[in-house]
Amino acid sequence: MLIHEVLVVGGGLAGLMAALVASQKADVAVLSKIYPTRSHSGAAQGGFNAALGEDDSIESHIFDTVKGSDYLGDQDAVEVLCSEGPEVILELERMGVPWTRTPEGRVAQRSLGGAGFPRACFAADFSGHVVLHTLFEQVLRRGIKIYPEWHLVELLVEDGQVAGVLAYDLARARLEVIRSKAVILATGGYGRAFAKTTNAHANTGDGMAIAYRAGAVLSDMEFVQFHPTTLYGTNILISEAARGEGGYLRNYDGERFMVHYAPQKMELAPRDVVSRAIFKEIKEGRGFEGQYVHLDLTHLGEALVAERLPQVRDLAIRYAGVDPARAPMPIEPAQHYSMGGVRTDVWGMTSLPGLLAAGEVANVSVHGANRLGGNSLLETVVFGRRAGHRAAQLARQEPWPTLSAATITRAYESWSSLLAGRGQVVQEDSTFAIRQEMTNLMTNQVGVFRVGSELEDAVNRLAVLKERYQRLKAPGGMQPFNYALMDYLEVGYLLDLCEVIARGALRRTESRGAHYRLDYPQRDDQNWLCHTFVRRGEDGPEFSNGPVTITRYAPQERGY
Amino acid sequence: MNVVLNICRFNPEVDVKPYFQEFTVLVEEHNTVLDALLQAWQQDPGLSFRRSCRSAICGSCALCINGRPGLACQTLIRNAITEDGRITLEPLPHFRQLKDLVVDLDPLFESLKAVVPWVVIRDNHDSHMAPEVARKLESPATCILCGVCHAAMDDPGEVKPAALVKGLRLALDPRDVLGAARLQLMKVPRDILRLFIKNLPEKCPKGIMVPEDVCHL
Repeated sequence: MLIHEVLVVGGGLAGLMAALVASQKADVAVLSKIYPTRSHSGAAQGGFNAALGEDDSIESHIFDTVKGSDYLGDQDAVEVLCSEGPEVILELERMGVPWTRTPEGRVAQRSLGGAGFPRACFAADFSGHVVLHTLFEQVLRRGIKIYPEWHLVELLVEDGQVAGVLAYDLARARLEVIRSKAVILATGGYGRAFAKTTNAHANTGDGMAIAYRAGAVLSDMEFVQFHPTTLYGTNILISEAARGEGGYLRNYDGERFMVHYAPQKMELAPRDVVSRAIFKEIKEGRGFEGQYVHLDLTHLGEALVAERLPQVRDLAIRYAGVDPARAPMPIEPAQHYSMGGVRTDVWGMTSLPGLLAAGEVANVSVHGANRLGGNSLLETVVFGRRAGHRAAQLARQEPWPTLSAATITRAYESWSSLLAGRGQVVQEDSTFAIRQEMTNLMTNQVGVFRVGSELEDAVNRLAVLKERYQRLKAPGGMQPFNYALMDYLEVGYLLDLCEVIARGALRRTESRGAHYRLDYPQRDDQNWLCHTFVRRGEDGPEFSNGPVTITRYAPQERGY
Repeated sequence: MNVVLNICRFNPEVDVKPYFQEFTVLVEEHNTVLDALLQAWQQDPGLSFRRSCRSAICGSCALCINGRPGLACQTLIRNAITEDGRITLEPLPHFRQLKDLVVDLDPLFESLKAVVPWVVIRDNHDSHMAPEVARKLESPATCILCGVCHAAMDDPGEVKPAALVKGLRLALDPRDVLGAARLQLMKVPRDILRLFIKNLPEKCPKGIMVPEDVCHL
């Protein structure tokens, strides 16, 4: 058994920030299924929102976020997010983040969707990457123990309290118990539930699903963000910064079609609005080859594209064969972000004592029904910091939770026998086949436009996939670097989450933010201005509704 | 088109030494080597290789492609394929092979520790930085710690390139107390440093250009 007062699971921005803060007062370790610098936070391009500008205000950031959330964000949490933005940006600056600068030497800011001001602090279009690496430097400075390529497999719960984890060390092919006073989940999202996603292969919702299995409450899982601009075919992210720097969306007729959907904000309307607009253009025959539209940067000039969007340019040249300084890029919307997650309070505390969560895995909820660009990176550092602070407090004030030999033996033996599997490496059915059907189903039937009959069908077909999955044997057994075994576990996590997402989407008979029902196209504040809570029951997910915290801004019609 | 992947396999639990195994996969020429590898994985789920972002920002899928270190996700089939339709994939040289294409990365991450790999902040720093100075940090800060530069050296010896890039990026940072003293700390003769900086862009998947004036600090 290993022992750490605070165990952070996940080595992206939220996890490393939490670990850094907690390490000031407690013994901390970071467990991550990939090396921390490989985390998908590093792929974030656009920036970190913070009201630093003289004309900008925290008030305005709060309002934009609440409106962007289609009034489902909890306004007390949004206030925390926006109020702590400026100080956390300066804290990162002192850690050594190489921000892009204004002529006066201040941290430069750019416009992203749904914002009233240029508010996103950035480093060219490597914003997530440079902050991730800076936090990693600080982790080295503090000598924080890292368990790289270790997979969380179970939260050990005793008398309703999380007392540690069971983890699987991929390199040494063995299970280990880590006893902790506090476990912070920072495992990110589940983008790989969808066939078309910007997310990395690692983004399989492990933490969310494992928390759900352990009895934690998830919330607002039906709200899935689809990013408007991903390269057609590969779905590699083309940052909203491309539109923030002045890029246009054009249909087959060369028209800037956003004029029909968001005449004021145009291309910088929030992502839910832009993604729907793109699909509508394509559906009504104004796309290219019936599949995609254009993101046009050619009027910006090569110098600006090279200086502000070097990564976007590289990605487009390499993966689409198009230099955006010279020709428009073919783009289509794809899954990008999970608004839902493990329900937490503003200190990262979940419904399970001893378990905290921060970042995309969590639902605090600041994004409500639709997240604004630049707010997720901000969320990782603001709420990572808070979770780290609270976990350290728990470590100092609370006794060690009971972790009995019986609990350890039960977990260890059941996982040993499951992972040993004795399954053939090649089986009649496979995780590959199940994964492919699941991801296509999610993209085709639980995507940008949803309708009751298709959601119902999706729920039924997911249940069949789950039955097929349960008949599989774990492939290959406990061998070093058996990625097929991890794939098998990950597909299991995704199936649990897909069920919750699809059933939540079927249940919510209204349209709000990223959740759009063709059969219920209006927002329905009378019945649905509420969070969706879900807990795992004996016969599957058990749903309930919870109140939204509204402090300053009563819901209004949301136009851009 | 059909492509033959010739993949170096090694399972430390059973094999005497590494061997090559061929996989025939169906890919398009604009697909990546990673796309091809993912297909080979479906044929043999026991095949081990690292991957994550598939957009050249995480650094997981570094390996040796036809004898040249690079990222699988960044290398297009049409640029990798030989005339007879083959691509040979081996683990990164100068790293210990753990299983198939997976190598031991601990020495890479460990090597960073020798260069004090963080900004040692000046007390009087006021959060401002001139944009022309900030621009110099930009390219070296795009290092993804993939290990390709290390693998591409003829004889890395005592020079640990990923750590060098980190050290040089920090030496250029006006917030850092150590600054020019980092060059002494790294114990690399200036002429070797110059050569390293000159050769880096063509070896590095991110094409990192360290401003030459770092040598004059």
